[in-house]
Amino acid sequence: MDRRKFLKQSSLASSLFMVPSFVRAFEQVASSKLGYKRLVIIQLSGGNDGLNTVIPFRNDLYYKERPTLSIAKNDIIKLNDEVGLHSSLEPLKKLYDKGYLSIINNVGYPNPVRSHFRSMDIWQTATDSNEFSQSGWVGRYLDNYGKQPYSAIEIDESLSLAMKGENTNAIATQNAKTFYNLSKDPYFKNIHNHQNDAHLSEHNLGYLYKSMIAAESSAKYIFETSKTVTSFQEYPNNKFGKQLKTTAQFINSGLQTKVFYTSLGGFDTHVNQLNTQKRLLGQYANGIEAFVQDLKDNDTFKDTLILTFSEFGRRVKQNASVGTDHGTANNVFVIGENLKTQGLYNDMASLSDLDDNGDLKFEIDFRTIYATVLDKWLEVDDKKVLNKSFNQLDFI
Amino acid sequence: MKAKHIQHLYRRIGFGILPSELNKLSKKSKKEVVNNLFKSSKNITPLEVDTSEIKNIFSGSMMMNSKLDPETRRKIQKISRKKQIELNVAWVDRLTNSPEVLREKMTLFWANHFVCEDNSITYIQQFNNTLRKHAMGNFKDFVNAVSKEAAMTKYLNTKQNRKQKPNENFARELMELFTLGEGHYNEEDIKESAKAFTGYSHNLQGEFVFRKRQHDESEKTFFGKTGNFSGEDIVAIILEQKQCATYICGKIYRYFVNDAIDEKHVNAMANVFYKNYDIENLMRFVLTSDWFYDEKHIGTKIKSPIEFLVGIKTLVPTKFKNPKQLLYLQKLLGQTLLDPPNVAGWKGGRNWIDSNTIVLRLKLPSLLLNNAYISKVKQGQDDAQIEAKKEVFKKNFGKFYRTEVNWDYFNNQFKNVEMKEFQNHLLACEVNETAKQYLNALDKVSKQEYCIQLMSLPEYQMC
Repeated sequence: MDRRKFLKQSSLASSLFMVPSFVRAFEQVASSKLGYKRLVIIQLSGGNDGLNTVIPFRNDLYYKERPTLSIAKNDIIKLNDEVGLHSSLEPLKKLYDKGYLSIINNVGYPNPVRSHFRSMDIWQTATDSNEFSQSGWVGRYLDNYGKQPYSAIEIDESLSLAMKGENTNAIATQNAKTFYNLSKDPYFKNIHNHQNDAHLSEHNLGYLYKSMIAAESSAKYIFETSKTVTSFQEYPNNKFGKQLKTTAQFINSGLQTKVFYTSLGGFDTHVNQLNTQKRLLGQYANGIEAFVQDLKDNDTFKDTLILTFSEFGRRVKQNASVGTDHGTANNVFVIGENLKTQGLYNDMASLSDLDDNGDLKFEIDFRTIYATVLDKWLEVDDKKVLNKSFNQLDFI
Repeated sequence: MKAKHIQHLYRRIGFGILPSELNKLSKKSKKEVVNNLFKSSKNITPLEVDTSEIKNIFSGSMMMNSKLDPETRRKIQKISRKKQIELNVAWVDRLTNSPEVLREKMTLFWANHFVCEDNSITYIQQFNNTLRKHAMGNFKDFVNAVSKEAAMTKYLNTKQNRKQKPNENFARELMELFTLGEGHYNEEDIKESAKAFTGYSHNLQGEFVFRKRQHDESEKTFFGKTGNFSGEDIVAIILEQKQCATYICGKIYRYFVNDAIDEKHVNAMANVFYKNYDIENLMRFVLTSDWFYDEKHIGTKIKSPIEFLVGIKTLVPTKFKNPKQLLYLQKLLGQTLLDPPNVAGWKGGRNWIDSNTIVLRLKLPSLLLNNAYISKVKQGQDDAQIEAKKEVFKKNFGKFYRTEVNWDYFNNQFKNVEMKEFQNHLLACEVNETAKQYLNALDKVSKQEYCIQLMSLPEYQMC
């Protein structure tokens, strides 16, 4: 092909006629912000010690099993006559007082696994503990209901299994600009300028081209949409704070993303737990406080639900290194403006009726929480995503 | 043998083939080429990083089966984590440089079949070498060896599987993932066979230990047979099911031939495999069959991240100044060796590709090898500022990956190859019309720049 012909073709290509229809669909996204419900998932990795997070300070067994690890009554932020929060969670108490927090106690699953990888895997894939899945629950939500790859975004450099579907994966990005820059080399634009989508979908190579065009389009959309707002909210200067700040920016700019995924690690406190957990819960709570404020200032808090979980709780009895070993059931935090059951959703776990390992016996299957969120918040068929029917709870 | 077929063969059983080697082989017949392949994989070279530090601790602790104190355990874990990175890097190097091409590719295949991970370097290294040892051997021996590996008895809890308190994890996955596939056994089969594996355990050094007192000696009924079965008996009974041969052949077909199963071919493979479960025989059957070289299979599979990375390194030797970056890249691309998502392994095929990985894959050759620069100079113009442009790119992107790149090696390998031949060497499939026109309109500044252009095409992702 001679140069003139080439130039003619490439200029033609920039006109709308030559753009594949599914790319145009990307660019026609409605900008309405109203009533667009979003879910933010926060994963506390490593197994947060739930018993030192939401504390049964009237229970003698708690102090008996943890002679040097229990939190003194005076240091606990009391929610009622029985239960209080860790001293780092003051911001959560404020949310609690406003009715923006629901604490679901004793959440787990049958036949608990005490390996980090495996238990996280179970939480992320939402399978039984003797089943393995190659797709995650948000990923399957995407398969069935996500319109675009960016319908779910993980604020990280790579994707968790939770965010991978059978056919569709979410997008991972910490920085919309970096992702956009990586995708936008003109070389890539030029090699697919004249593709038509009929030709693209059939074979593996066509699938690659299709993915490439969709990725470019998504990266551009995320970058150009999110840069329209600037946040004046101050966030704690740590990785988790930055993740939440980015999430808020995405939400407040009206990005059409239904699910955001973030995480805070380091909770595997076998040794000298007190300081580590105090620091981490502080990072968590202060981050949440800034995040909620940022959303409220932009009137998006009412359409955002924040779900916090950890792969397991820790053993009731402390170990010999002023720490705790891997346990089972744990508490889950739900934060939002539209909670039906505010405060403590259910009673604390029994500390006397433990399993053979000395761990809590779970009461609420975590998948009933997923099912509730899917059905009542994201308004989709939870059975399609979880491959099974679960009872629903009453917190939203 | 036709050059095109040799290339296809080597892309599937290895990571591609360089011009000089291709030249040599194209004078031989298909039979010779394939025979050669098996001959050069006769050897088994274990993959080993130096673990003497840990072994010394083990031999220092007097009682072989005693528990280690927490302090020592933490120390071992720390060394282990460091050594796992070393092992990962050594494995990638091995894949890039081994003369035992087929054995190594099959080891990689089995690593995503008998999926396992462990935080102990000694156990996982041993497991990895068990895969290597049996990769082309007898499948029955293979399954038994895997079932007795320390890392596996930990990973699928056979260690906790005791007469008084059975744990069915291994028995379930043995049938669901390792031998029969879902739906070809029932819950009762799992319960009964789990009993047969009670007592499987290991000592501190990672050797198999059979704890007789924990073994359930009772009668088990499994697939219609009743007896006091051992774990090995169970494996033998499973392999009597033709379904086992069919299941494994299906997996081999999807990995080496095509994502989409052709039942006729898989059944033919299963007939060969079922006779004695000899893996080498099976592979010989596949690689010498005419259908393996069928046009519809050539260049139609999507490379796995490891195939992609090793392929790049084979063409243009690349060393990471910080080995952690190599692991980081594997993570970003979605496949970190020694760190599978769970026992089901990586899904593969189109599942490798999403918005993040496609963008990175297309950009990676230029990022690693050419300061992120892809030449876009039109024909008739010269890329006068190429060096200046590269500097700018280096400043913006170069900080991400620090690599030592051996372009001399590439230039030497492609010394006698004309640029118009490059596509045949670098790409497994035809370039689509649009990209072809665009490429033709561009100036071929140098072999290096042209190589980068080709490697930055989606077509380069195919094998």
